[in-house]
Amino acid sequence: MRVRTFGATAVAVALLTVAAGCGGGGSNNSTTSSGSSGGTAGGTATVLMGTAPDYLDPQLGYTTQSAEPDWIIYTPLLTYRHANGTSGGQLIPGLATALPTVSRDGLTYTLTLRRGLTYSNGTPVKASDFPYTIMRAIRVNWGGKSFYTNYIAGASAYDGGRASSISGIQADDATGRITIRLTQPYGAFANVLAFPSSGLVPRGTAMRNLSNTPPPGVGPYKYSSVSVNRGFTLTRNASFARFGIPNIPTGHLDTIRVTIVSNTQSEAQQVLNNQADVFDAGDTLPPSLLPQIESQASSRFARVPIPSTYYFFLNVTKPPFNNAKARQAVNMAIDREAMVRLASGFLKPTCWFLPEGIVGHPGNSVRCPYGTTPDLAAAKRLVQQSGTAGTAVTVWGEQRSPRREYVDYYTDLLNKLGFKAQERIVSDTVYFPTIGNAKTDPQTGFADWIQDFPNPSDFYLLMDGRSIQPTNNQNFSKVNDPHIQGELNRLNPVPATQLNSVANDWSTLDQYTASRAYVAVYGTETMPKFFSNRLDFGAAVFHPTYLNDWTSLQLR
Amino acid sequence: MATVDSTVRAGAPAARGADAGPAQPAGIGPYRLALRRLRRNKVALAFGALFLLIVVLCLCAPLYAAHVAHTGPNDNHVTETVKVGGVAKDVVSPTGQPIGPTWHGRFLLGADQNGRDIAVRLLYGGRNSLEVGGIATLVTMTLATIVGIVAGFFRGFVDGVLARMLDLIWAYPVVLLGIALGTSLALGGITIGPIALHGNSLLVPAFIIGVVYIPYVAKPIRGQVLGLREQEFVDAARVGGAGPLRIMWSEILPNVSSTLVVFVPLMIANAILLEAALSYLGAGVQPPNPSWGTMISDGIRLIPSAMHLTFVPGAMLVLAVLGINVFGDGVRDALDPRAKVRLEEHAEEASR
Repeated sequence: MRVRTFGATAVAVALLTVAAGCGGGGSNNSTTSSGSSGGTAGGTATVLMGTAPDYLDPQLGYTTQSAEPDWIIYTPLLTYRHANGTSGGQLIPGLATALPTVSRDGLTYTLTLRRGLTYSNGTPVKASDFPYTIMRAIRVNWGGKSFYTNYIAGASAYDGGRASSISGIQADDATGRITIRLTQPYGAFANVLAFPSSGLVPRGTAMRNLSNTPPPGVGPYKYSSVSVNRGFTLTRNASFARFGIPNIPTGHLDTIRVTIVSNTQSEAQQVLNNQADVFDAGDTLPPSLLPQIESQASSRFARVPIPSTYYFFLNVTKPPFNNAKARQAVNMAIDREAMVRLASGFLKPTCWFLPEGIVGHPGNSVRCPYGTTPDLAAAKRLVQQSGTAGTAVTVWGEQRSPRREYVDYYTDLLNKLGFKAQERIVSDTVYFPTIGNAKTDPQTGFADWIQDFPNPSDFYLLMDGRSIQPTNNQNFSKVNDPHIQGELNRLNPVPATQLNSVANDWSTLDQYTASRAYVAVYGTETMPKFFSNRLDFGAAVFHPTYLNDWTSLQLR
Repeated sequence: MATVDSTVRAGAPAARGADAGPAQPAGIGPYRLALRRLRRNKVALAFGALFLLIVVLCLCAPLYAAHVAHTGPNDNHVTETVKVGGVAKDVVSPTGQPIGPTWHGRFLLGADQNGRDIAVRLLYGGRNSLEVGGIATLVTMTLATIVGIVAGFFRGFVDGVLARMLDLIWAYPVVLLGIALGTSLALGGITIGPIALHGNSLLVPAFIIGVVYIPYVAKPIRGQVLGLREQEFVDAARVGGAGPLRIMWSEILPNVSSTLVVFVPLMIANAILLEAALSYLGAGVQPPNPSWGTMISDGIRLIPSAMHLTFVPGAMLVLAVLGINVFGDGVRDALDPRAKVRLEEHAEEASR
């Protein structure tokens, strides 16, 4: 059996194709946060978030707000380079000694745990903590658990209650050797091991939501206090520096205080006035302050494009969107330029599910199946033909701006098309768990996706019929299309290093998805990197997946 | 017997004031007398007229929308342009900044983030706010009257149970209780027997506001009924063979009617304010339907550059509440002049 190693260089070569959308904003250089920039070590910074993280439990969190802290608190076996742009998509060893060795058939991954590691509470890290961590993510119903259950042997049986452990993961505490056996090859499986949800927690950690008292982890920082929906504090994990893990910075700040501010106006104003230090990149700057920020704070503000997809999901299992014509009508009528304005310009219009910067994005030269300019009259005719006119539709949305405005626009559009649409706005913190719950079974509403890793299969989790789950579901449209499933079975095993060889296949699949109108995509986001003048703006890393890299923050 | 009965029933406000207050001219009923006093209170009448004007304007919202603004309250015009002084201007700029007041038909008071006509939403929002306020007041007054009269009339166990229930509602801060109910009911709606209300129905916040204010009316009514039930005319009715229901309906209710009349404008004002607060916090009128509260909430993030988005609905809210409150004070003074005297005495004592 020939053994294949995921070489960093090879991965970087594969990721070169991702370059198009990952730069910009003056922050797409590839400096890492460990580079010296003359900043001050220590001190405290205040990060403001417009939305509280969905969970502070690493095996449950699945929003950018939870990923930002989890990434630097719960280091998985593999992780990403702390760098801007495409370099930030490069996998590096985390708690493992090296990148995994993969069997020739792509079914067996072998890693070795570093020696001498301890959790932030002093408990020694053992290899057996890894299978326990994966079991915990499955048991607590993490939104992306299908990444485990679809591929790891025995994970599905464990999920279904037919097994007490995952037979496909073997861990030897004595040697630190961890072997993972897959049921089918998955080219991006190494990326799955880099999820914050794969970040190790001690064996025996309760199999329930521990957001109020997060478990200990291994990382540059640790949670020191949590005030539910109000904020939390990270302090430096003193023991982490001793481990000397290459390419994972130990951080500059002693304390990072995160405060939840439900009003983005106040959030932006405080950062502009230097009363707080970081405006969360997941929030949108209010249009009223944008000119002021661009003129008064141009040295500490940048727009950074991120591979992301903003869309309205259309539940194909319920009327009216179980009718293809009704879905097509929505895609035909949507005014993407209007969405850009609602986003204060922080959105680039597109109709493709795979965003720019991800292999397989069809590109601007390919015509959108339902046109790029809205045709309301034709869309109305389609609705009439479909026989779904007059159907009551509940549109689900979040409170925060501009997502509320997106949903307001969309609801009005559905009413103009002839549906009887009404809104249901839910608190931001519970929005995704609410619409991802089978009991809710929403018809349509707001959704977005920011890359977990630079691979089209990450986005196609949302179109994979196998990822439909009763809670924390992410396939909101409930797409279970045999053609897509067949293509995913064929394309998912392609190793990340060979993604370019199947770029056209992914592109064709994405065009098929757009033609079936399973979702109504309207844009890809540009995110704000906006700091107070207390922080060294140039030295701070804006990671393509985890956004502001808090380990790179340092006082001037 | 008949004389006692008719005197008390017809003279509800005077029954309490037979030995005090201005003498009642012969042949004039107490309500006509109150109306005469109210007519002399020009300030109250002016504010009453202001409130009436706001109500009429809001009722005319569909006419304004159809014939002047040519758009509905929830119609988005994000990428459209409007001519101002012969120049075409974006309703919403590419950076998301909505147009300000144009001072003519379309977008008279400007647009919001979604390019919706503020003037149209203001009038429709007023309709919603007033509708919620009116229905909530109806709910409060109806239930509070029943509870207050029953509790005060029967006393004992019935009073104990009802009074504790009122205490339970009273113990919760009104806004917090409203938010809790509003948030949960906005998701699932309300189903009471055959009546099912969707989460985004205006009746949901109206019902919530109506319920949370019940103790504020029921308790004073109960106290009044506790005194009334000992009066001779109640004894006379009982001796005459009237049952509890008949006594409550024919003897007690007319004698608390002036109190109820005084409460109505006060409750409308409170209900409108609470509706605005709940809507501002997302627990009242559900988007995209406008109300003054939701409009203020929507405009908050644009305060530095588009203050009118919050100022205009805020001003309407203040004017409407001020109008109904001052008018309500005038009604109270007209129905019970002693109350004004008492208030003035209290004010004098306090100033000493």
